Amino acid sequence: MGTMADLNPLPGQTAMIGIGEYRVGSFPMMTIGLGSCIGLTFYDDRLKVGAMVHIMLPDSAGRKDRPGKYADTAIPLLLKELSALGCKNRSLIAKMAGGASMFEYFGANLNIGERNAEKIRALLKECNIPLVKEEVGGKMGRSVTFLPANGGKVSIRRADGTTGEL
Amino acid sequence: MKLSTVQADAIQELGNIGAAHAATTLSQMLGSTVQMSVPAIKAIDISELGTYMGEESAAMVAFELQGEIQHGGYVIFYISKESAIRLTNTMLGMTDMDRPMNEMDESALIEVGNIMVSAFLDATAELLGFIMLPSPPALSLDMAHATMATLIAQLGEDVDEVLLFSTELVCEEHKIDSDIIMLPEASTLARIVELMENMMKGV
Repeated sequence: MGTMADLNPLPGQTAMIGIGEYRVGSFPMMTIGLGSCIGLTFYDDRLKVGAMVHIMLPDSAGRKDRPGKYADTAIPLLLKELSALGCKNRSLIAKMAGGASMFEYFGANLNIGERNAEKIRALLKECNIPLVKEEVGGKMGRSVTFLPANGGKVSIRRADGTTGEL
Repeated sequence: MKLSTVQADAIQELGNIGAAHAATTLSQMLGSTVQMSVPAIKAIDISELGTYMGEESAAMVAFELQGEIQHGGYVIFYISKESAIRLTNTMLGMTDMDRPMNEMDESALIEVGNIMVSAFLDATAELLGFIMLPSPPALSLDMAHATMATLIAQLGEDVDEVLLFSTELVCEEHKIDSDIIMLPEASTLARIVELMENMMKGV
């Protein structure tokens, strides 16, 4: 996949971030239909830029070709790309949403959503980046919009039609 | 795995036979004609799943494939929320479209999914001489993308591309549009293709 800079949206458009993809910049970003996946955002209020990634699994087990897909490869990559834009780790804040358990029957033994969230929390702690807000778990799918240019606002639309803000 | 034209044709034929049996059972349950599309096979990169299924509300009844294979992937009965309400209304003798789904609807959808997927797998097992048993059903009433992505994350193997076979089943009288989707793991797919090829060669 390489760099995603070529995929930046046209002015006024929102970048749709599919499973395992990420974007870095100040344009609006969105992940739709998060189930056990997690939409993670980083935001630098000083520079009004941020990054968003659609993480599917906690561990890459050594795979390097889709860094955005796994928590353990996505976080270092986003921090590196943000650093290239001048963001310092100490001025970044993180938010996340998703990690639901969609099926009661399959969920008990697998619970990928919860494992994703736990891995992200642990990695952020290691990097000393505050996870200021999160909405994870439950049984419902969510879509998430991230607006770096608008104070890093993160909005959630849940499968039942209700909305919220992180 | 990449499928050759012959292999894709073989899988399509398998889907055809399985879906024909499922269509017959749906038709019996509804007491109405059910039309079936030609099965479509789509190889989808997971990052592109959103162009195939989005935020729309859908009921999905998922079954893990078991039997001669440990974790074979999933077979899913997919029905949009509107069609799901029309389906359960037809079954339960109700007419109100603008109502929330309740436990009765959920039981009815699980039951329909169970009957159709069993018919689908029975027919394919008979043809292949290879038994794929469905796990107990699991229902999700949610955003289609969220449900499908969760199933893909749960597959026993870490995949970047999924092969979906889907066959649309439509009941025009009741305006019900549904799909049977098969999401096989690579090992299952390889086994199915091998059996179909042997069969066509007359082995």
